[in-house]
Amino acid sequence: MNINDFIKELKDQFIDGDDISLEPQTNFRAIESWDSLTGMSVLVMIKDEYQVDMPVDVLKNSKTVQELYDFIVSNKK
Amino acid sequence: MNKAAITAVEYYLPHDVLRNEDIAKEHPEWSIEKISLKTGIQNRHIADKDEFASDMAIKAAEKLFSGYNIDKGSIDFVLLCTQSPDYFLPTTACIVQNRLGLSKRCGAFDFNLGCSGFVYGLGIAKGLIHTGQARNVLLLTTETYSKFIHPADKSNKTLFGDAAAATLVSSVLDSTLAGEILEFEYGTDGSGAEHLIVRNGGARSGFKKNRTDTTEVADDYLYMDGKAIFEFTAFAIPPLIDDTLKKHKLIVNDIDLFIFHQANEFMLNTVRKRCKISPEKFYIHLNDCGNTVSSTIPIAIKEALLEGKIKKGDKVLLAGFGVGLSMGATVLQF
Repeated sequence: MNINDFIKELKDQFIDGDDISLEPQTNFRAIESWDSLTGMSVLVMIKDEYQVDMPVDVLKNSKTVQELYDFIVSNKK
Repeated sequence: MNKAAITAVEYYLPHDVLRNEDIAKEHPEWSIEKISLKTGIQNRHIADKDEFASDMAIKAAEKLFSGYNIDKGSIDFVLLCTQSPDYFLPTTACIVQNRLGLSKRCGAFDFNLGCSGFVYGLGIAKGLIHTGQARNVLLLTTETYSKFIHPADKSNKTLFGDAAAATLVSSVLDSTLAGEILEFEYGTDGSGAEHLIVRNGGARSGFKKNRTDTTEVADDYLYMDGKAIFEFTAFAIPPLIDDTLKKHKLIVNDIDLFIFHQANEFMLNTVRKRCKISPEKFYIHLNDCGNTVSSTIPIAIKEALLEGKIKKGDKVLLAGFGVGLSMGATVLQF
């Protein structure tokens, strides 16, 4: 797995995914279209694609795309 | 064996409307415009303070009888789905039988389900007809969640609307449009019971609300764990649809229209993509009424019929899911 694939999947969860840019250092929650529904969609995607159950708190406390990715890598079985 | 089909559908929305602008005024910090983009809801109808489940069900039924020229004397069974009954006893369906002036030889009972209620109702109705216990079943779904949503609960206020729907399930298939009810798949996961709950008012709280001992005020009102419900929908529904299709020996492309419980547009689109259903075959209708719980599917069926989206020969897949946690799916053959 690599972070670029993850970024692609992450972008898909945004309602305007085609129009935004996401880099490893992006604060994804500062993106205009981010809200709790997008958050839920991201958690479902992470469970589905990576079989990792990310708690809501981890999502809430993560500041960058990289932090999300690192959590997934360290929790993937 | 007697076939069972939906031969008439009608619905009733209460008069008062709670619009996005009204919610924005009450909660200026809540970005309702952004939210309405994702939920797909502009308006919800709210029952009067003196308007209850029976009242709305009766209005929907009367609309059904007059709209389709139905002789109400022909109704021999009433099924009423609600989670806000007029009384916890007696049965609201019995009250409705009386006020509608239906035959005193009708069967009638309530069943307590939410978003999956209409599909379960079709299953029960089909069973009654198949076994010769009834010929014309009046399936009523009626809900007033507004009566237990806390005034400060912006998210639930935004999502839920009140409504009632009346559907005739009949063994007499000579009407112009009859959707024969085929097979069913059900599912229940009670471990999710606390994800959508009104804690007080039932036996566990001594049938009381406004308790002053240990329970919080919040326990008198609707609580929904949005994330848990979203996850349930995202993970449990695609397999349910798969199993339903397999049971009918069909594939996704064989279905002409999918009508799911109309919870909110964002979540519906997430589930749609996961079920690999194309947008043109996926019906959405909640802009003007919001999530009306057990009435979302019959309301959507009615609107789809009015829009000409359902034609003779079409297969329509229905799926209801939510509070319980409960789910059910079936296919209608028009």
